[in-house]
Formats: sequence, C-alpha cells, structure tokens
Amino acid sequence: MLLRLIGEVQIPLLATMLLGGCAMKAARSAQARSIAVGLGPTALFPIRVRRPVGMAMCAIEFGLGIGLILTAGAYWQGASAELVRVGTGLLFLVATCALIELKDERPDVGCGCFGELSQTPVSVRTIIRSALLAAAALGTIRLRPIELPKSAGTVGILFAILVLEVGVFALLSPEIKDVLVRIGYSAPCELRVVSPEQTLSALHRSTQWRKHADLVADHHPSDIWRELCWQYIAFPSQFAGQDAELVFAVQLEQRRPAVLSALVNTATGAVLPWPVSAARPVRPRRHGLTRPRLARYPDPVSYAEPASMPGTPGSAARRPYPPT
Amino acid sequence: MDRAVIRRAGESQVWSSHCGRLVPAVKSAAVCCDRCPAAVTVDTSHFARRRLLKAAVFAPAQAVDPDSVDRRVYRSVTGTILDVSPHFVTIGHAAGERRFALTADATAWRGEPLEPSALAPGDEAIIRIMPSQPGIADRIWANIGRVCGTIMECDSQRLVVHEGAMRRPKLVVISPLASVRIKVRIPNLRPGYLVDIIGVWQRDELHGLIATSPQPTYRSDHMPAVRPVGGRLPEAITGSAVWHDPGEEPYGVLGAFYPAVDPTAGCAEDSAARISPGEAQAFRELPYLAIGSALQVRNECTGIAWTLPVTGCAPVARMFNDHCVTCKTSPRGRVADLTVSSFIALGGELEQGCFNATLTIGR
Repeated sequence: MLLRLIGEVQIPLLATMLLGGCAMKAARSAQARSIAVGLGPTALFPIRVRRPVGMAMCAIEFGLGIGLILTAGAYWQGASAELVRVGTGLLFLVATCALIELKDERPDVGCGCFGELSQTPVSVRTIIRSALLAAAALGTIRLRPIELPKSAGTVGILFAILVLEVGVFALLSPEIKDVLVRIGYSAPCELRVVSPEQTLSALHRSTQWRKHADLVADHHPSDIWRELCWQYIAFPSQFAGQDAELVFAVQLEQRRPAVLSALVNTATGAVLPWPVSAARPVRPRRHGLTRPRLARYPDPVSYAEPASMPGTPGSAARRPYPPT
Repeated sequence: MDRAVIRRAGESQVWSSHCGRLVPAVKSAAVCCDRCPAAVTVDTSHFARRRLLKAAVFAPAQAVDPDSVDRRVYRSVTGTILDVSPHFVTIGHAAGERRFALTADATAWRGEPLEPSALAPGDEAIIRIMPSQPGIADRIWANIGRVCGTIMECDSQRLVVHEGAMRRPKLVVISPLASVRIKVRIPNLRPGYLVDIIGVWQRDELHGLIATSPQPTYRSDHMPAVRPVGGRLPEAITGSAVWHDPGEEPYGVLGAFYPAVDPTAGCAEDSAARISPGEAQAFRELPYLAIGSALQVRNECTGIAWTLPVTGCAPVARMFNDHCVTCKTSPRGRVADLTVSSFIALGGELEQGCFNATLTIGR
C-alpha cells in the first residue's frame, strides 16, 4: 500500500520537474536569444551541434512531462505508459552520466537543468538528484493507473510523502539558494546605477542645500563623481574674498538620502569654517547612520621613477616619459 | 573633446553633450571624457582633487602613519638597453641614461628565462629595482608585451585583436614554438572569442608565447548572466589582478584600471564603443567607483599592499571569468587591471600575467 502511494507521488513530481526544467530552459534561451546558452551538458558538444541538442533536450522534456501526465490515469495505460516512464528513467540516467562527465570536463559550468537558475557548477548534490529522479522514474514503470484518494488518511499520507520528497530534492538543489536570493533581492547601493540628475534633484530637496545654497557662486557643478554609495557634487564658491569649493556628498538612497557638505579653500585645500551667516551644517537625521570614515591609506604615488631622469629625484622624477 | 553646452527649456540646470550623452554640465575639466578618443591631454590633477574634497566631507579617521607604507614596494624603470654585462646594465632614453648594478641572482626574461648578459643592446627593457636600494636591479624583462581582447580576424598563425575602443587593434603572431601550448589553452581561435597572450614585441607584432589563462568559453558578445548579489558587498574583494600593455600610456604611471567605473560618468571606452550607461557587460559585480578613487591593492602571493588611484575602466578585463593560480587559486573574475609599474611594485612577475589580489576600498 505504502509503496504504491510512494509510486503515485512520483508521477506528478517527475512531470513537474520535466515541464519546469523545459520552461526555465526556454525562458533562458528566449532571454539570451540563443538556444545554446546555459543548457549545461550541451557544453560537452561542439558549438555547431549545441543548438540542435539544446532544442532536442527541451522537446524531449516537454514530451515526457506531458506523456507522464496523460498516461497517469486509466487512459493510455499499458505499453504507452511504460514507454513514457522507461523513457523518463533513461533520460535521467543519461543526464546523471552527462553530469558526471560535465563535472570532470567542465567543472566551471552549471547543470543548466533549470536554465538561468542552474549556474552553480555541477556538484555531487546535483548528480545525486539526477540519479534519484532516474530511480523514481524507473520505479514507476509497473505502476497501476493513479486514482483519486478514497479517504482523508490516504490524502494525509500522500501529502506527507510529497512534502518529504520535495524537501529531499530541495536539499539536493543548488537552485534553491538562487531562488531565495531572487525573492528577497535588492541591489546593494554600491551596484545601483543612479544618474547625476537624480542625485542633483535629491540634493536640491535637502536641508543642506537650503542652508548653503547662497554660498554657491555658480549653480553649474564643477565636478560630479560617485564612489560606492555616495555621489559627490562640487560647486564653485567664494569665502572671505577667496575662491572656494562647496562639496556635497549625497547618499544613494531612494528615500530621504543623507547629505553632508564641506567648504574647501581652492588654493590651499584646507577645510573652511562655515560663514557666520550660514547655519551650522546639519547632521543626517536618520537613526543609526554612522559617519563614514576613510580607510587609513597612504596617498597614492603619482608616477614611478622614470629611467630618463638619471639621478634627479624630486619633481623631475615624478614626470613620466612622454608617450612614444 | 566632444562637449557642447545645452540648456533645456524651463530648467536652470545646464547640460552638456558628454561623449555622445547628455549629463549635467561641469564647468572645469571634463570627467572621464578626458580620455575620449579625440582628447589630447589628461588632467590628472582634477581627479586627484576628488580625494581632497572627499576627505573634507568625511574626515579621515587618523593621519596616515608613514610607517604604514609598505617598504617592500618595488620600483621599476623602463628604457632601451645601451650596454649589458653580467654585473651591470645601462639603459637610456632620449633624455639620458642610467646604470644599474645587478644582484648575483638577477634574472632576465625575453620570451624565456635567461641570463641578464644574454640581453642585447636595443632591447626595450623593464628593470625592477630592489626596494630601498635604488642603484641595484634584480629582474629585467625585455621586449615583453601583452595583448588581451577580442579576436577580430584570424588565420592559423595570426590574430588581429581588438583591445577596446580606446586602443588600436594589435597583431599577434603565434610563435610556432608555443603554438601547441597556446592552442591547448586557447582552443577557439575564431573571431568573437577572447584571448589573453603574453609574448615578445617585434616591431608592431606581438610574438605570442604564453596564454595566461584558459580561454573563456563564451564569446565576448554573449557573456553569461551575472548571478544577482543580495545584501551588502564585502569590503575586501578578492580576485585576479592583471597588467596591461602600456600602449600609448606614459611609462611609469602608477594606477589601476577598474572594471566598475560608474557608468553614468561615461567610461571613455564605453562611450567610444557606444555602450549605454549600466549596459557594460561585466562578469564580476563590483562596487562603482570613479576615476581618481583610491584602491588598496594587496598581492596575496607576496603580501605587498599599496594604494593606487583608479586611472581608467577595464573594458576587456571585466569580461574575463578566470582564476589566477599564481600562488593559490583566486576567486573568479579580474578585479584590477594594473599598469606595468604598479604590477611590478606589488611584486608581480610580468610573465605570469596575474597575481591573487585583494582590493580594499576606503568607505
């Protein structure tokens, strides 16, 4: 009884794996506009046959997945059902062998079983999963037609077997990690592309800008650059009759970005105190935000010692050769 | 320089056409587009000033302790060999000449390891000077060159390689002596595939001798998808650091091409290649920086670390997905493309092509 119930769970599970794998491969191929991209074991074939092999893999998976569903019930029982199940078992057996070969030949390539999600290099887990699926398929060859469960107890047992088996396959699937990352994915601020106009508009909305805008001699920034999670905007300014630069650092956050500022003497590079008329700089109001500090690095050296300046250390030695 | 000021109707902001794109106008020197193909001069002081302005906003934690500078950093000089003997080498340039004593175990490389006395006058040499001993050299590389890029044209012996929009295509001749060895590591000698070859310059041809790493299996226009990164990026990034042939770059420049220069600033190579911001293909996800940002690069094989400025984007290095196995296996991906002087300064051996590196970025 239990063995029969275990067998009945395998058919929908195998069909889901095959159709899911086919759909993810097709999605990956459509995204990359190439059927040969990310299809794992196709990497073992010469480039010219990867495309037909990839298409054949998708077609076989789709055909067997649909076949398993159609032959699960009372219809198309007998030879046709056995043929589909033998075919499924053979597919997973061949896949297991291909994965073992792939692990040896191309240890950097993922199995491609679920398209873009399967980019983790083939591991023992992936091979065990494929072998278990082959065993599951071959174990269902003589399975009788699946019927609807007749009691709540049977439903419970079927559900428990399904949960247990899905759990085992989840543990054996490196794709689960990627799925979880995608569900909770948010790009770190260091990787977010933020345009200078977005930053300027955030700056113009900030309290720092309102407090120091009157110090800006020219509203066209003299420099804009970005490092990690901060964008820096420098404006020409004047202080006590001397040229100065007003620099703002804007944090690349979408909501209420922190803005810091400083006034720098253009000639000496010294940080100037804020003029009395200007309000004191406002610290970021966000709780928990710490003031970032530079790492303790020595200043980079501009140039190595050129050969053309024999025995002339100092200013001349810092000039590079002219390009030849 | 490609620059035209535009004022949009109803806006106080002035915009400029910057390497073919529209960005807020910047009054003084251009940002990354100083390196556009039409640009003549490079205003490095402009980029150096960024560190000062950044430090004004984020006060450094402490003054830099002079003892923290790594005293093992090597210096190097470049020039044409005028005279060489087992104990001395004299190199020169139009501006003068310089003589170095050679250590007892000094070695040279010109396609293969050899004795320094086997070098010939006229060879273009890069000489490594012993740390804190400015008149003594221990390593000489003669006529060494490197071509790293995408194959444009090829036959069984010759390759025309595209190294990015800012550089002229290079001709590589695969030396018959190294042909089998190179083809094992670079099986796809066909247009569209990436190559990275070290060899010896003979006139305008590089005679390729060493394939530094296994060739990527993908074409440069069909990069594999980057796996998404969640959470916060680590402060120290490990990977492979390589060097690039100076080409038209001034000799002796210390700096690193960084694969993730902020795309909205208009990386010169991307602009010249008409790649839109954020669409530059890169295998490794690295935090965005600007030209002039400071990177601490540590050679994990020698332990030598030094702070270098970002001097450009690395349009080709970012497409490689290889390990460096100089001392142990590094994580995949090239994280810095150093100038020759920087590579040597950190103890790298040019003919090895890479070292395992850790980057630390001042946050």
